[in-house]
Formats: sequence, C-alpha cells, structure tokens
Amino acid sequence: MSKAHHDRTHHAKKATGIGDPQCFKGEGGKPKFKAGDTVRIRDMADFFYTRCQTYTRGAVGTVTLAVYESPAAEDEAWDNTDKPEWFYSVKFRQKDLWPDYPSAFPNDTVETEFSERWLEKA
Amino acid sequence: MAKTSDQSKKGAHGHEGEHQHPPAPMVDEVSDFEVLEMAVRELAIEKGLFTAEDHRRWTEYVHSLGPLPAARLVAKAWLDPELKKLAVKDGVKASLKVGVDWINSPPTNFGTPSDYCNLRILEDTPTLKHVVVCTLCSCYPRPILGQSPEWYRTPAYRRRLVRWPRQVLSEFGLQLPPEVEIRVADSNQKTRYMVLPVRPAGTEGWTEEQLAEIVTRDCMIGVAVPKPGVTSNVKMPVHRAVHPIEHHS
Repeated sequence: MSKAHHDRTHHAKKATGIGDPQCFKGEGGKPKFKAGDTVRIRDMADFFYTRCQTYTRGAVGTVTLAVYESPAAEDEAWDNTDKPEWFYSVKFRQKDLWPDYPSAFPNDTVETEFSERWLEKA
Repeated sequence: MAKTSDQSKKGAHGHEGEHQHPPAPMVDEVSDFEVLEMAVRELAIEKGLFTAEDHRRWTEYVHSLGPLPAARLVAKAWLDPELKKLAVKDGVKASLKVGVDWINSPPTNFGTPSDYCNLRILEDTPTLKHVVVCTLCSCYPRPILGQSPEWYRTPAYRRRLVRWPRQVLSEFGLQLPPEVEIRVADSNQKTRYMVLPVRPAGTEGWTEEQLAEIVTRDCMIGVAVPKPGVTSNVKMPVHRAVHPIEHHS
C-alpha cells in the first residue's frame, strides 16, 4: 500500500512572499455583509476547535469592516484550506454582551472578528 | 519552594555546623510548556527541519526586537497626516516606513515567520480609547512590537479586560471619564492590533526622536497613554552607590 502524499508545508509555500491572510485574496467569493450591517453571532456547534468566543454567541453587533479572506479557523485547524470565506470585524456595545455592565459607561464597546459562517442578518 | 523554606527553618533552629544559607535556585521550576518546547525543538533539530544555529538566530532576532520601530511609526504618524492616513488604512505598508517588513521579515523569509500579516493600527481620539487583548491565546503584533509582556499572556488580563475594561485599566493607573468610549480589540483571528494614541499636549514643536521616546510599549497596547516626562523620557532619580567602584583605565 503506498502512502498518500501530503505536503505539510503547502500553506507556508502559498504564503511565502505574499503573507497570510493576503495569500487567500480573491478566494472568498462575494462578501455577504458590509460595513454598517447589523448582525447576530450564530451559536453553532464546534468540534474540537473554534475561534468564535463564547461571550459573543447570540449577541447582536455592527459590522465595521470586511477585513480579509481566509479559510475559517475551524477548517484551517484541520489543514482544510479549500473554502476561504470573508472575515468581518464586528463591534458590540458592552451592555449587549454583559447585561450587568455598568450603565455609567454606555459608550464602551468590544471589536473582534468572525468568519462569514458565524454571522446572520439581525 | 517548600524545600527552600524547610532549609531556612532548620537554619533558624540553629543546627550548628550545618550550612545555614544554601544558595537558592535561580529558577524554581520548569513549566510543562517549556519542557514541551525543548522536546519539540530537539526533535526538529534531529529531524533536520532546522539547525540549532537557525534556532539561536531566530530567538536572538525576536528577543532583540524592541518596541522602537512601532514608537517611531507613531511619532512619524503624529508629524505626517498622510502617513497617519496610510497607517490606519494599511498598517503592513506603513510598517515599511520604519523598516518592518511583515511579509518578508528576516531571518526566515518564510511567508509567515512569526505571526499573521494583517496589522490594523487603531487610532485613538479624545473620545475613543482602544486597548488590545487576545482572549483566546496571546496574539500580539510581534514583528513591530517585539515580544509581548508577561502580563499580556496571563489569564487574568485576557479574561478580565473584555469583561471589566475600566477596572483593569485603572489597575494600570489609567482612569478615563465616562464620555470616553473604551473599545477593547480582541485579536481572535488573523488581525494583529496596535494602538495609535493621541499626541499629548506639551509636545508642540517636538522632533520625531523626542516624540518616539514617550511612546512606550504599553501605550501601543493601550493600557497607558503617552505623557511627556512620565512615560519613557523621564529623568530617573539616581541613587549614588555607597561604595562606588573605582574605575582604573
């Protein structure tokens, strides 16, 4: 039985001289969201690896920027770089994340990123 | 630790003839992660993935990266509105102005040498203060800021900053009025963040070198704000040595 060949450095080779995530530019298709859109973070099941923080799940925020295209962390963790998607920076009001956030500071926010699969229109 | 205190107890009970002050070990323990790093490194060297010399060179490179390039970038952006615009739009391109090449950074020339290559420079205003954390691990813009401080990697900072930012900032000595929006940037994916603070009053007419001196690492993480005479260009009081060493030339 011959062993299937897998090049473990394919990712690094692709990024050399271009950068990661820059090397996935143009592979994410049409962005579904744009700056100013109101989105809800989906609370999906994740197996073994995710970079979608628990504190954001189910929360509603505003897209500030479509940042770059890249395979989602949940795929890339398993070396699956087949389907890059758009990543978005999303801003939340603190009191939408933590109900008991002191009302003396209503302007405070958190900004963090999500791959497209984690977002839905709100 | 337990061993050391046992020995000092013995000393206190005055067991004559015993060595009363055993030299304390410099490092009490090696963490599991350090053991793991050594094991993986040695295996990689044995396997020929890189040499011990490569490893030493890379370690030296990373450890000798000071926050200086980032401080100079902030100073330049304060002086040049066009560069400030570029910095906010494309941090990777702006970094080239201070000699930091995120994409082809030496010594590996290997695509993503130490980190992902999407730098976002977050511009503070008088009513908006950014502060950076990585709640999931300890992502940090190493190519331009060097090694992250130890506290940045602690669970206490990572867990608490998103939840109680004002309390954490006040522990760093930074208290901001309620009308200032505190925006925590959680670098959970491939973007690395650096804060471009507001140029403080009292720095009118300063040169790039003078400005760069007050932009310390903590100012670019966002837990401090640059202040003339308070952050790094302060004159520290010098305590004269009681028995000064004579220098013979």
